[in-house]
Amino acid sequence: MEAVVVLMDNLWVAIGAILVFFMLGGFILLEAGSTRMKNAGHVAGKTIFTAGLGTLVFWAVGYGFIYGDGNAFIGLSNFFYGDTTTAADAGGLTPAVDFSFQVMFALVALTIAFGGFAERAKLSVYVIFAILFSALIYPVVAHWIWGGGWLAEHGKQDFAGSTVVHLTGAMAALAATIILKPRIGKYNKDGSSNVLAGHNQVYTTLGVLILWVGWFGFNGASTFGVADGFLGYVILNTQLAAGAGAVAAMFTAWVKTGKADVPTTLNGALAGLVAITASCGFVAPWAAVIIGLVGGVMVVFSMQLFEKLKIDDPIAALSVHGTVGVWGTLSNGLFALPALSTDIGWGQAGLFYGGGWEQLGVQALGVVASGAYAFVVAFVLLKIMDKVMGGLRVTEEEEIMGLDISEHGSYGYPEQMALEEVKLTTAATKDKF
Amino acid sequence: METYESIKEWKDAHIPSYLSNNVELNTFHDQVMLKVLEIAIERTTLKKSPCKFTWFITGSGGRLEQGLISDQDHGIVYEKYTTENDLYFKKLGEELSKGLNIVGYPYCSGNIMSSNPIWCKSYKEWKVQLYKWMEEKSWESIRYLQIFYDARALYGDTEYINQLKTMIYEQQKDYPTLLKRLMENVKLLKNAIGPMGQILVEQHGVYQGHINLKYAAFLPYVNSVRLLSIKEGLIETSTLERIEVLREKKEYEELLKDSYRNFELLMNYRLTLFQVKEYDDTHYLNLKNLTKDQRKEIKRILKYGKKLHDAVIELVNVKEI
Repeated sequence: MEAVVVLMDNLWVAIGAILVFFMLGGFILLEAGSTRMKNAGHVAGKTIFTAGLGTLVFWAVGYGFIYGDGNAFIGLSNFFYGDTTTAADAGGLTPAVDFSFQVMFALVALTIAFGGFAERAKLSVYVIFAILFSALIYPVVAHWIWGGGWLAEHGKQDFAGSTVVHLTGAMAALAATIILKPRIGKYNKDGSSNVLAGHNQVYTTLGVLILWVGWFGFNGASTFGVADGFLGYVILNTQLAAGAGAVAAMFTAWVKTGKADVPTTLNGALAGLVAITASCGFVAPWAAVIIGLVGGVMVVFSMQLFEKLKIDDPIAALSVHGTVGVWGTLSNGLFALPALSTDIGWGQAGLFYGGGWEQLGVQALGVVASGAYAFVVAFVLLKIMDKVMGGLRVTEEEEIMGLDISEHGSYGYPEQMALEEVKLTTAATKDKF
Repeated sequence: METYESIKEWKDAHIPSYLSNNVELNTFHDQVMLKVLEIAIERTTLKKSPCKFTWFITGSGGRLEQGLISDQDHGIVYEKYTTENDLYFKKLGEELSKGLNIVGYPYCSGNIMSSNPIWCKSYKEWKVQLYKWMEEKSWESIRYLQIFYDARALYGDTEYINQLKTMIYEQQKDYPTLLKRLMENVKLLKNAIGPMGQILVEQHGVYQGHINLKYAAFLPYVNSVRLLSIKEGLIETSTLERIEVLREKKEYEELLKDSYRNFELLMNYRLTLFQVKEYDDTHYLNLKNLTKDQRKEIKRILKYGKKLHDAVIELVNVKEI
């Protein structure tokens, strides 16, 4: 029986790895749909390339920095990962299954970070930053919380990676957005902003649904096994929060503007998913609903705030993964059930269950420390790249003609763009003279 | 004054002094357009018209509700169809559109201009066309009927226009569904007040934080009052005048109680508070430039407009069966 359970654990986590990897498909559609036609091929295609590169870097050094033997700050062994121990020998997950699951999380974080680069960064910037992020930013935060680093010892609760994956990715995106500056045409001279509408809401919607499905692997397989069928509980919480997020965001948009905006609704579903990521294994289902609802409302106001601050975030990565990620992590400190925390020796129960302020404090410390590290390091690295590479951003002309043609030499929508070319040339001329 | 360009100069020099008063401003616009007509006639082959004709303007001009800038909406009704007359007035229509554009009334995007054969016809042809529109009841023909009902003779005998309008009036008396159809055509209202009772403003673009007065405020009043005017066969075109006449009827007294003052206030807001540089500017009001009391007033006017609009929909509905 025990051997069967071990094999089932392996199978479930392997399925989880596949589901998490498929989230990249969701990001491809989400990002491509949320950006303009002239950049669609680039935005979609670069995700495949950075996934490849990110995988190699994670294999070479990333995994070792997280889980290798080292100190409170970083791991320092297991580079160029090649452990082939079987399940029987390991008596649990095989290291290869574990590695496969872990690498997918790193790729998701990387993809989130690149959301902040959309529609204006050079392709070479993606290349260099994919290496740096997968080696120096993500693994350090992951080591602190998951790899036995200093935050793990404090009892930080982050069930599937709200801080490690989403906040880290979002902070790198924030640094990039600030340095890159808004896209051409986003803001008018008087400070008012324009909608640079994405070219395909259907893509964006399907992207969100794929992410939603993938999230069952992201959260569900973070149980690392099938024992007690706990994965079902985690999936239930995930589903409830996502639904609540979508409903809350749509309602909030309608109340605010009189229109039930589609992109906002979609971001609400994602907000619900991000919000429940840290707490899906710690809270009661009714709390999951509340966590999702709050996330859905928050994302609307957060998007508006960033827009006002002149931080141009084309696919709302900062609001969805950053702002809401913070809320999700803190929500543990409020709603964590004693049976799923104190009683099993994983941090303390939340404030509403007599756990006092302690867990909330630990969660806040984790958020601040991890967020600050990711932001500062990403900012410094990008600034250095900016100097060395002669700017992170494509030229004005390239941005206007689109990154499909400027970075890759062919359009994602060739027939359509041939028609647009005339207009673009006129626009370019108008812009310059 | 011999060219369109010189009219433009004259217009640009004098228009600022008329900006404080809506009636004066619209009278001035009339003067400018009549000057354009003079030149247009001179420049059209015969140098004088071959028969009697009426040149009318419609839209905001027809209703005497033009702001600083507005696009051109106009048409021609002439006495009698002959091939020569047809050719002549089409030429004149083209000349008029060109001239008005030069003088500062941009071309109408909906092509409601004398240069368009639909809007340039003999009296008899107009009759046929209006009957066709009323029978057809397509979205477009119904919209045309509303536009025609705002027509006001700028040059020539106003009888043509009045008789054609009376025709519409008689027809809707016999066929009440026409009125309902007319209302359905303008049923769409831009939501002006949010669920929390806040004024809804533009979220993006150069008019961020502005309220779109044309769709949110003006149109509910204009459309509701026009519909009642068709129902009662009024020949007045300005919304204020229409309200005045309608208010004398007992059945509308209560319904239209505050509408005169509200609409007058709206027009004043447009004249005094807008910073107009191009046509679109005349539709947007920046909430930031308003005092607290003014905001309250605007909100009241918006709410009243919606109420009026809904009441007229109701009124038309009941009468149908």
